[in-house]
Amino acid sequence: MSKFRKKSPWILHYNTGGCNGCDIEILAALGPKFDIERFGMLNRGNPKQSDILLVTGPVTLKCRDVLRRLYLEMPEPKVVVAMGACTFGGGVFRDFYHVENGVNNILPVDVWIPGCTPRVEALIDGMIKALDVWEKKSKDKEYLNNHSEELLKEIGAIND
Amino acid sequence: MIGLLMTIFSPIIGGLISGVERVVKARMQSRVGPPILQPFYDFFKLMDKRPIMIHSFHASMGVMYFISAWFAFAVLMLGNDLLIAVFFHVISILALSMGAFSVRSSYSIIGAMRELIHLASYEPVVILCVVGLYLSTGSFDISVILSSSNAPIFTLPLLFFAFVGAIPMMLHKSPFDVAEAHQEIIGGPDIEYSGPFYEAVYTGRWIENVFVYFLVFLFGGGNFILGAFLVVATFLLVTLIDNSTARLDYQRMLKFAWVILIPMAVFNIFFLALGGN
Amino acid sequence: MANIFIFLSIVLPIVFGFIIWFRQCDKVSGLLTYSLLPILTFMGFYVYSVDASIYIHTIGLLDFFIVTFDFFLLIYFAWIGMQRKSNLVIFLAIVQFILLIMVISIAPEVNTANIYVDKLSAMIYLLVALVGVPIAIYSLKYMDYNEKRKHTFIAIVVGFLGVMNFIVSVNNIEWFFTLFELTTLASVVMIGYRGDKESINNSTLALWMNQIGGVAILFSLLIMIKDFGVYHFTDLWQLDKTTITMAAFGFLSIAALVKGAQLPFHKWLLGAMVAPTPVSAILHSATMVKIAPFLLLRLSPVIQDTLLSKLLVLTTGFVFVAAAVFALTQNNFKKILAYSTISLLGLMMLAASIGSSMAVTISIILIIFHGIAKGFLFVEAGILEKLFKVKYIEDMNRLLEKAPLTLLFIIFGFLNMTFVPFGSFIGKWLMIEEASNFLSKGSSVLLIALVAIGGVFLSVLYMKVIGVAIKHHRFSKIKVYPQPKNFLFVSVWYYAILSILTIFIAPFIANFVSPIAIFITGKANGLYADGLSLVLGNSTLEFWQIIGAMILLIAIHVAPFIFKFKNVEQVHPYNCGEITKRDAQSYDFNFINNYESKINMIAITLFISVLIFGGNLL
Repeated sequence: MSKFRKKSPWILHYNTGGCNGCDIEILAALGPKFDIERFGMLNRGNPKQSDILLVTGPVTLKCRDVLRRLYLEMPEPKVVVAMGACTFGGGVFRDFYHVENGVNNILPVDVWIPGCTPRVEALIDGMIKALDVWEKKSKDKEYLNNHSEELLKEIGAIND
Repeated sequence: MIGLLMTIFSPIIGGLISGVERVVKARMQSRVGPPILQPFYDFFKLMDKRPIMIHSFHASMGVMYFISAWFAFAVLMLGNDLLIAVFFHVISILALSMGAFSVRSSYSIIGAMRELIHLASYEPVVILCVVGLYLSTGSFDISVILSSSNAPIFTLPLLFFAFVGAIPMMLHKSPFDVAEAHQEIIGGPDIEYSGPFYEAVYTGRWIENVFVYFLVFLFGGGNFILGAFLVVATFLLVTLIDNSTARLDYQRMLKFAWVILIPMAVFNIFFLALGGN
Repeated sequence: MANIFIFLSIVLPIVFGFIIWFRQCDKVSGLLTYSLLPILTFMGFYVYSVDASIYIHTIGLLDFFIVTFDFFLLIYFAWIGMQRKSNLVIFLAIVQFILLIMVISIAPEVNTANIYVDKLSAMIYLLVALVGVPIAIYSLKYMDYNEKRKHTFIAIVVGFLGVMNFIVSVNNIEWFFTLFELTTLASVVMIGYRGDKESINNSTLALWMNQIGGVAILFSLLIMIKDFGVYHFTDLWQLDKTTITMAAFGFLSIAALVKGAQLPFHKWLLGAMVAPTPVSAILHSATMVKIAPFLLLRLSPVIQDTLLSKLLVLTTGFVFVAAAVFALTQNNFKKILAYSTISLLGLMMLAASIGSSMAVTISIILIIFHGIAKGFLFVEAGILEKLFKVKYIEDMNRLLEKAPLTLLFIIFGFLNMTFVPFGSFIGKWLMIEEASNFLSKGSSVLLIALVAIGGVFLSVLYMKVIGVAIKHHRFSKIKVYPQPKNFLFVSVWYYAILSILTIFIAPFIANFVSPIAIFITGKANGLYADGLSLVLGNSTLEFWQIIGAMILLIAIHVAPFIFKFKNVEQVHPYNCGEITKRDAQSYDFNFINNYESKINMIAITLFISVLIFGGNLL
């Protein structure tokens, strides 16, 4: 069954406060010219039915917990793809007062797509890499970085 | 025998319809689109996910939706009364909306409520459509309708268009996809399902596809080629409308169904009935 | 033997009522009400199984007694009117008094039996026994919760069952009028039972509205005696249908519409909700409002295929839709139930006024199944009110966590009102099929549209209410709290009756209901049972469909108890990843209130047109 997995990745795209450059590239990828639906990819907008979490932006403090919750709501096997320079260390937003300096210490990222902003080709390439990672993953539960009961309680994932 | 086979394979047929639809939709937008078997890849992928749920009741309602949609289709194919099958269809809506109501998620509840408004919009049209078929062919029995020499479409043109107008409501297609509204309430009743449980809802939707297009097929009567042509034409028309229109709000949907579709259906039946006298 | 049983069916509940009232003691009340259940059931069944109409000639003294009683009743109404300073009530009472004197002065001596019992009456005996008596049993416990004068209440309820049995057995329309007024009195007493201001107001409302029905009956009697010289139902059926005038029947239909709480006279039935819940239960289920379809069924052989019948179809069909639409806007649980009663009464009376053999069958099916299901729902509404303090839809939010068992029963009751294998569905289904048969006669297209639309609105209404109550937290434990044995007995009683009747619905309809319709109309309706499947012409509701739908629906409504997925992780609901309060409610449909006055205007217009055009008064 898992060999069909590669053919139907559904994407959850979340912008954690970036400049929207990456998001426009993602929209371009959905459009007629690049059409990532060729690979069966759909932008679902719903973590419960998604397989790939596509994160852009440097993670502002406000949306840090939202990102964590969205990640927790996704069923395994799942892949996290971080797109753009600011997801890795904050990019141009590095060390600003309101950012978390990238996704590194929040989620276990599987694939990084470099560039500011990355080209659509790079995005598609990254997604295909993500599929390879995804194929090898199992159904075991995956955790947040620095996972602990206190953290879950703090973000309201245990008792909402 | 054909009925039994159709019932058993209806999820597969529905999946194919859904796959073709995605391709046609992509081509209309000048995209390449996914492979035709894409819905089945989705199926296997979803089966392979780790199951998570909100609570057992919600998850079980997803499965019940699938079962009752399939059962309704079985009643349509194996029973001999069209009207009963249409009423059976409501059971699946009950399961879906009860499940969607049972979670404390705003989107899900709004979606369920809109699903009920969908029901209020299309159900009278569908019942009138069945009555019209009876009037045209003299029977509620599917086998009689499918062997009648004159095709109902010629006596029921307005009713047929009313039914085509109701199809986007039944299948949640734009402009009447207020219950699903992916950009607004992210799938409505489906939103909280995931993995295998979403799989059940997803497959239930395929069966609804088959259910609806089979009703379209009945308008061809004994002329199967005409029936097939009607199905294909309706399918293309519905997909075209789906691609080229924006979503209307639920009041407009309700008004459209009640001010335009139902009077159309009633007038057609009325004139046919009086003409037959 | 049957005569004795008919006599006992009428007198026994009344006598028991008096005993309960005199003794005022728990043991006696319990014993008598419980014992009524098997006794009345057995007698009703015996009378039903007699295969002929039973005519009973009564002594002249009884006639004299009933007429005298009637005058006292009207004087009592006038007295109530004076006490409550309601000029309308006094006026109507005086009008009735004068009209009654006129009727008696011109009424000829007719040698027709005053009591006429056929299978229809026997069916209502059975309904009263199986549905009405459990409500009396239920009120034994219900009245223990902060209510006054428990035994008096039970006495009234039990006595009322006897009155109901009486009214369905009379043949003399003059007596029918008396009993009609007696049921009015009973409803006034029961609605005003709590004695506070609201109850008194609502009972006055019920009084004058029903008095209008009484006036209509008296007018009809006057015209009837003047035109035909007869005033018995059985004599009316003998009249030559081609020549008779319809005025008398127009007035009688108006009486039926008022008693059946059709728009615009629906307010009195809604007002009944201020009384203790068993009152609503008994008014809505087996008794009182069922007089309306009963009266129309009695008239249907005469009014069939006339303009009157068509106008009645329009009026009641309109009420079927309009009441269902109004029900969507309500937020009081008992009001929702009341509106759905009004709506379904519209459907019953619609079927009754069509008057073909199949339509009569449909009407009776609806009377039976609506009676049982509505009694069930009101019993549960009372339990909700007393044990869980839930009255409004807002309180019903997440009811599954508080009262899972009661909710289960409520859902089952709701499913019974619209969904597939249950009686009300069969009524709707047969109605559409029957109407399709005479489509070429014109107005039936509208009829089908009305039935389809009303049915859809009722489904939406029930699903909406279920939806509000079924919501629950992901970690809440669904466990059954103990309930008083009495409540549990009544709930399980209705649940069992409904389930058993539904599984055996084909033989039940073909062998129990159909004969009644054939008895009334004298024509076969083409409905028969093939094993456990119901066959009508070319169409079959097959047993695998019935049992399949039954299993599906039972699985759906007991799902909170049976489906427990182990080893599946529970996550929180999607809310865009935010934690905010999740208190989404269902739509309130308040925009419908904007159209209320228009809908009422249409209802009044239809009402008057029934009288004027249907009765051919112009």
